[in-house]
Amino acid sequence: MERYTLIRHDFRSYEKLLTYLLLSLGLIPMVFPYIWMVLASFKVPAEIFDRFIPTSLTLEHYRMIFLMGSTGSANPFIRALANSLLVSSVTTLSVVIFGAITGYALARLRFKGRNLLNNFILFQMLFPVVLFLIPRFLLVTKLGWINTYQGMIAPFMMSAWAIFLFRQFFRTIPQELIDAARIDGCSELRIIFQVMLPLSKSVTIIVAVFTFMSMWDEFLWYLIVTKDYNLMPLSVLLGLFTKGEYSSYPGIQTAGATLLTIPILIIFFSFRKFFTEGIALSGIKG
Amino acid sequence: MISILAKVKSNELVGYGLILPYLIYSLIIWVYPLMWGISIAFKRWNIISTEKTFIGLSNFIQVIHEPLFWIAFKNTLYFMVVFIPISIFLSLSVALLLNRINFLRSFFASGYLISYVSAGVAYSIVFNLMFSGNGIINTWLSGIGITIPWFSSPKIAMASIAIIVVWKFLGYYSLIFLAGLQSIPKTIYESAEIDGAGRITQFFRITIPLLNPSFTIIFIFAIMLSFNVFTEPYMITGGGPLDSTQTFVMQIYYHTFTNLHAGYGSSFAIIVAAISFAFVFFIRKIVEKDIS
Repeated sequence: MERYTLIRHDFRSYEKLLTYLLLSLGLIPMVFPYIWMVLASFKVPAEIFDRFIPTSLTLEHYRMIFLMGSTGSANPFIRALANSLLVSSVTTLSVVIFGAITGYALARLRFKGRNLLNNFILFQMLFPVVLFLIPRFLLVTKLGWINTYQGMIAPFMMSAWAIFLFRQFFRTIPQELIDAARIDGCSELRIIFQVMLPLSKSVTIIVAVFTFMSMWDEFLWYLIVTKDYNLMPLSVLLGLFTKGEYSSYPGIQTAGATLLTIPILIIFFSFRKFFTEGIALSGIKG
Repeated sequence: MISILAKVKSNELVGYGLILPYLIYSLIIWVYPLMWGISIAFKRWNIISTEKTFIGLSNFIQVIHEPLFWIAFKNTLYFMVVFIPISIFLSLSVALLLNRINFLRSFFASGYLISYVSAGVAYSIVFNLMFSGNGIINTWLSGIGITIPWFSSPKIAMASIAIIVVWKFLGYYSLIFLAGLQSIPKTIYESAEIDGAGRITQFFRITIPLLNPSFTIIFIFAIMLSFNVFTEPYMITGGGPLDSTQTFVMQIYYHTFTNLHAGYGSSFAIIVAAISFAFVFFIRKIVEKDIS
């Protein structure tokens, strides 16, 4: 009997080992493109395509990106990086603020039409983006917002998904806390930002990092509403240069791709727990 | 009594006050564009002119008579046929493996998720170069005597695009499956074991049926994604070779922002949205089961 359990135990640990081995092997293709990208951005052009490990390194591609703008402005890529940071941060802030305010009203206040609005928000999430592309472009054109930061941000300022998430979480916060704050004379806005949000740190961070990431990744809308190199976010500028004047300079392309990747990787590594939690959240509800 | 009533009343006003920004925003950026989009779909309208003519259903009829619409449709189906089975098989495998370990689980979970944060433009550049004719992948493959024309053969270009999108979403779908696996009570497996059910039986009789909500949500996400593919073909193939990677969104982009036919583009978008709704509806009918 003792021997049997011993063998069984060995079998189990052998299986464990295999599990770890498979998981590690599977990780290689997930990480490989990143490693290849960073290496390629430092390679001399002759070695980019067929050599994985470079024999010599160069900073030429980064020099091109940072210093030599051929489009009139000194360094459009730095400017584009700043544009991306600005547009993504402002959008994220707005989505969190209005998500919390609206989510709070839907979770904790009674008013006529509340259920209707709840359903409307779920309904909104079903509609594909393609349906809005053209009329929103026309609207932004009419407002004179083509080539402006407002134009880039406008369609993303408030999110049904964020409102829904805040509403779900705010419902779980005990009413006594809200009542106590009211007795202390807090306004509803103070309750939202000084009671509810601090108690909902993980939901707030989840909403923020996912919003930031999708804004950082956004391409089509920015491509449509920006025409001026100085206003373009990095994704669009890099996309256009890759298809345009840098189309035969893979080193510069990969240096640009690295530049576009680093900020979002920093956010990913700082908040990775919230990325995994956020996905589990959307998966369970269905 | 009166003060309570007044309080309820004021509470209601506060509620309206707090939802007002969202309400106004939705009217301007959601309801109004939706209506506008529908109304111009029935008009012939070039963006730069002021002349709009009501032409009834002509735009819609023209869309379904356009060869490129059907090519994009075929390409989207091709994308789905490659993307959905591969991503479900791989992500379920990863989730099952992750579910078996405790030590380092979060390390591996975030490791697989690393591709998910990559921006479309960035990974399109990287894969375009890695998979190019003389790129690193073909250099390595030529060691065993083959090279694959990933993006330059009309037969497989769309499959290659689907595979790089699998790369992006593999970790994301794995974590949805993992959450599903962890919501299955351990006791079910224990009692199945007592009944003498082997592992394979347990997998097909317990795991797969109880993962139904995860399957449903992944199918819905994957279908909606398939109808929205744009950045990868725009960056890598430009829709070619021989229109083999033309997608619906690329067509809408082309008609509206290159050809400036806003009315036509809008009716195109409405038809595409309707098709994607139909797909989601049918897949829910097929996949979704009530489990309890």
